[in-house]
Amino acid sequence: MDPSYSSSDIARQTWELENNIVQMEAPSLAATSTSPPSSTATEASSDMIFFYDEAAQTKFQNEKPWAHDPHYFKRVKISALALLKMVVHARSGGTIEVMGLMQGKTDGDAIIVMDAFALPVEGTETRVNAQADAYEYMVDYSQTNKQAGRLENVVGWYHSHPGYGCWLSGIDVSTQMLNQQYQEPFLAVVIDPTRTVSAGKVEIGAFRTYPEGYKPPDEPVSEYQTIPLNKIEDFGVHCKQYYALDITYFKSSLDCHLLDLLWNKYWVNTLSSSPLLGNGDYVAGQISDLAEKLEQAENQLAHTRFGPLMAPPQRKKEEESQLAKITRDSAKITVEQVHGLMSQVIKDILFNTVRQSSRSQTESSGPEPMVET
Amino acid sequence: MASSSSSGLTFKLHPLVILNISDHYTRVKSQSQPPLLLSSTHASNGGDSAPATTSSSSPPRVFGCVIGVQRGRTVEIFNSFELLYDPSTQSLDRSFLEKKQELYKKVFPNFYILGWYSTGSDAEESDMHIHKALMDINESPVYVLLNPSINHAQKDLPVTIYESELHVIDGIPQLIFVHASYTIETVEAERISVDHVAHLKPSDGGSAATQLAAHLTGIHSAIKMLNSRIRVLHQHLLSMQKGDVPCENSLLRQVSSLLRRLPAIESEKFQDDFLMEYNDTLLVTYLAMLTNCSSTTNELVEKFNTAYDRHSRRGGRTAFI
Repeated sequence: MDPSYSSSDIARQTWELENNIVQMEAPSLAATSTSPPSSTATEASSDMIFFYDEAAQTKFQNEKPWAHDPHYFKRVKISALALLKMVVHARSGGTIEVMGLMQGKTDGDAIIVMDAFALPVEGTETRVNAQADAYEYMVDYSQTNKQAGRLENVVGWYHSHPGYGCWLSGIDVSTQMLNQQYQEPFLAVVIDPTRTVSAGKVEIGAFRTYPEGYKPPDEPVSEYQTIPLNKIEDFGVHCKQYYALDITYFKSSLDCHLLDLLWNKYWVNTLSSSPLLGNGDYVAGQISDLAEKLEQAENQLAHTRFGPLMAPPQRKKEEESQLAKITRDSAKITVEQVHGLMSQVIKDILFNTVRQSSRSQTESSGPEPMVET
Repeated sequence: MASSSSSGLTFKLHPLVILNISDHYTRVKSQSQPPLLLSSTHASNGGDSAPATTSSSSPPRVFGCVIGVQRGRTVEIFNSFELLYDPSTQSLDRSFLEKKQELYKKVFPNFYILGWYSTGSDAEESDMHIHKALMDINESPVYVLLNPSINHAQKDLPVTIYESELHVIDGIPQLIFVHASYTIETVEAERISVDHVAHLKPSDGGSAATQLAAHLTGIHSAIKMLNSRIRVLHQHLLSMQKGDVPCENSLLRQVSSLLRRLPAIESEKFQDDFLMEYNDTLLVTYLAMLTNCSSTTNELVEKFNTAYDRHSRRGGRTAFI
């Protein structure tokens, strides 16, 4: 167990370096002090982020530095707890959109999300909207939470987009815009629980809208993502009205310790779960969506073929990227599928071929499923 | 305190609860510490040890409620929320609990109050008082105890679940805490996010290669863990054979039943299904390849067209001149 523990430790540190994930904001003051034992020093400094300084927050609230710069907030830090709570809640909704609020604070150009809680909102499969009783619930919850030592205010809302990616729809944009007018600082987070399971990594996006009438300066190309055909219009119309923020995560020293230990218990789940089985529906939907997109692209191509000289070069460019997009989508699905299959094959070799190899060496031990049975 | 419970209930604990307690503890601790801490970091290095000692002498205890579902003899603890300790009654603040319960009922209608949690190294005498107070909500509440002190030598989760049992001690029937065994249970999405925060996977998509690496690393470490566990068993069996360890039949029986499960699934049906899945994936790969090909071809045709067009136009122009 020891070697594996240390190697996983090294692996984690590499990840932290590669992905610029700070275990916690280590203030420069603590770094300069040398004499105390390093473990207690890092422990104390790493948990600093959990301290809520009300005076500083109020001061920040009054200064309103975001009022002058619509692009003021650039980063989001999410606690391990908040991430877990949001993902679990989003997944519990299944194909229904769910919604909740996040509590936290601000630190320079970063919004720090400490905690999240669910709202009793009836969502549909395509939209979610807060009603009056949800606001009542929100006030009640915040009050009781404050008594229990959770001092942070609400800094944003989250909702789920099961199966169609992390972006803001028209309704989401108007909700967020309204909130940014009256409840600054305010953040919108979107989670896709279906894709999270399918891709094996958390699909999450954090957004803020621009004020009305604001023209974003030359938009940096945001990360490409697959959007189903029936949503693409909604996405295209509103995608210039908001921008995405960088997301990093943090955890306390105790969280770190517990998560390390947790791995000793739940490694079994990594082996026992299968992404292929749980997400069959989603994959089938993605493929049929791709087929529709292909058909559309084909139609357009056929049109341009009739009059290749008439078509302005601008349109041609757009078309190309459309086909390229479809290629990228299909590659993504394939990668996910192959990953799922890979784990299946490994498990098959691990658990099912024990007797075969001992019985006869001539029989091939690996699965040869291409052979027709 | 009796060693283990005899109620026969199975407990399943979700990681969210553990993180929730940990966060609650860290929050309360940092909230009660910071002024000292800030001033000490500003002050000389010698002052740094002061907050450390005070924090170790009076660790704040936090209290809360665990909620979840009981199905038959299986108790699954899904979530938790914070509660207040009422020093006057030496118990949990009842009205606060009811308020919170009502709020959580709205979002998680299926979850019931299963018990409570606290932090500390061991169950204390006064805890029974709190425990009894909860009995009108759940007639046999559970008590989840998290030990927040960080001990790197320890390989087990510092979480203990207690049940209460009625025992007759010195002729007086008394309730005492007994240990209950539990397993960690995760749903798929929860596992991924725990993985995400524990091993810190790249949050942005990353290239296909890094995704593959991450995926394989995950499987690799799990298999390594499995391997190390099997090695422990193997070594134990060897030493038992040599006679270093007394032969324990019940343990041997367990090992034997475990090994007999292999191969896990070996039937015609599974082979068929596996084959189908395998071929499905290959088909998806094939389709993606085709799409890629057609896209590339299209691009080529486009480029060819432009080249050809220019050529013909130029040709026309030269003819004109």
